[in-house]
Amino acid sequence: MLKSKSKNNNLTFGSDNPNAIEVIDLRKIYSGKNVIKEVKAVDGISFSINKGEIFGLLGPNGAGKTTTINILCGLINQTEGDAFVGGYNVKKDLNKIKELIGVCPQEAAVYKFLNAKENIEFFGNLHLVKKEKINERTDRFLDLLGLLDASNRKAKSYSGGMLRQLNLIVALISDPPIIFLDEPTVGMDPRVRRTTWKFIGSLKEQNKTIILTTHYIEEAEALCDRVAIIDYGKLIEIGQPKELIDKYNAKDLEEVFMKITGRRILEGF
Amino acid sequence: MKRQRILALVKLQVKALIRVPTTLFIILLLPIALTLTMGLAFGSIVVENYGWTNQTGSIFDFMVPGLFAISALFMAMPVALSFSEDREQGLLKRINTTPMTAIEFMGSHVISNMCMAIIQVIIVGIISFLLGYRPDGAIAGITLAFVFMMVFSLSSIGFGLLTATIAKNPKAAGGIVWIFMFPQQMLASGLYPLPPETQLIGMFMPLYYVSDALTLLFNGVALGNLRIWWDLIILIMFSLVIFIGGIILFKKYGKA
Ligand SMILES: Nc1ncnc2c1ncn2[C@@H]1O[C@H](COP(=O)(O)OP(=O)(O)OP(=O)(O)O)[C@@H](O)[C@H]1O
Ligand SMILES: [Mg+2]
Repeated sequence: MLKSKSKNNNLTFGSDNPNAIEVIDLRKIYSGKNVIKEVKAVDGISFSINKGEIFGLLGPNGAGKTTTINILCGLINQTEGDAFVGGYNVKKDLNKIKELIGVCPQEAAVYKFLNAKENIEFFGNLHLVKKEKINERTDRFLDLLGLLDASNRKAKSYSGGMLRQLNLIVALISDPPIIFLDEPTVGMDPRVRRTTWKFIGSLKEQNKTIILTTHYIEEAEALCDRVAIIDYGKLIEIGQPKELIDKYNAKDLEEVFMKITGRRILEGF
Repeated sequence: MKRQRILALVKLQVKALIRVPTTLFIILLLPIALTLTMGLAFGSIVVENYGWTNQTGSIFDFMVPGLFAISALFMAMPVALSFSEDREQGLLKRINTTPMTAIEFMGSHVISNMCMAIIQVIIVGIISFLLGYRPDGAIAGITLAFVFMMVFSLSSIGFGLLTATIAKNPKAAGGIVWIFMFPQQMLASGLYPLPPETQLIGMFMPLYYVSDALTLLFNGVALGNLRIWWDLIILIMFSLVIFIGGIILFKKYGKA
């Protein structure tokens, strides 16, 4: 058994599989009366993510990034295939997985009638984090992201970017070893975004495993050890940013992204 | 069941009730306004041999038990609003990614709603008292009245959940909840005497049994009276079915 690096609650991974996450031929097909045409949101994806890795999930709108994350954190069931988080099967051991993960959803999900501190405290309590730990982390995170001044105001009064920052902090309050960040920096101004990058980078030093989706390709290039590029629910490329840049003879990751995600359109798909 | 989680949830729900003006209005001001209106309108109209209890006194005296019951039914509204609002904001999903269990989640709703039911009883009680209402019951009877209200709050949660299941958004929920509240207020609250055929319809609604039992209890009927206990048994069954049915249906059809 591998002990995770998390200090607060001795969270334990489910097997001695070195992968924090493993996805095997995952499929999610939406069909039914609400859907006019069958949607293959995720169409046979396989990849694995090492412990302590920051892994970028890139792809155009509707590529299947959020769907993949939702399957991994148990919000929806896959149609086919297997997914493991912390060595646990999402279909069988979801309760164990929930102890290991922190999730920053694509849409900021915080209580508008609570202030930042109350929001963070509430979710800390759901994770059974000790009161002193909650207080210490709350102050540290708020300070790091520059949200301290507004932290006693109700979230209703927050700007879009401030809500996103709070959304991110809430995901981290339990000091989870595995973190899902679904477009965490949308709507942040360039300065705050860079602060947030630094913040996410500092999590890597604590040996956290992070799954990050973003449309800011330079963000992925700066932060991620490896990225996967998906389109139409299929994995079309995976590797280190540098590797991919070399492979496609591009000047940066964004160019790689444009080259390979545009290909389908050019080829007349 | 972890205490830390339950406490956090109850605290959250209480804050939601206090800080969101609409819910505060519904759970506190609406019962106050209703009781005041009825008291001022019917408090001085004295009747003899009125209603099924053959009471002599003001019409308001006859109405008070129903006012308690109606106030507790209003709780369906904040439940419906908070579930549809939280769903729309992605908060139910977010909570679903934490280790909290469904039992802890619903348990906390039961606790906070029962607390609110007690507060409402006290408020409606004080106002009716100020308006001249004097219950004729013993302490044991009044205590049992609290039990009825607390059991009934399960129904209110259930109606709230059913509303949130049907409603696509909080706005719709605010309207749809009246499908559950209005018929009960009209046909089962016992605010006024109804013809027997109409009353029969009311007997298929949980509110009827609260109102019926409270009328008995506040009129000094002995606790040995079987009708009170039948009321309680039927109310418990109704409330459990509506509460559990609400949870199941919301889980199945309402979460998306
Ligand atoms: N509940 C649903 N019912 C039907 N189709 C759905 C549902 N949820 C998602 N989809 C479809 O699945 C596909 C993938 O959606 P997903 O949200 O995973 O994309 P994404 O990569 O996160 O996109 P974005 O970058 O815009 O967030 C889209 O075509 C979307 O329309
Ligand atoms: Mg998405």
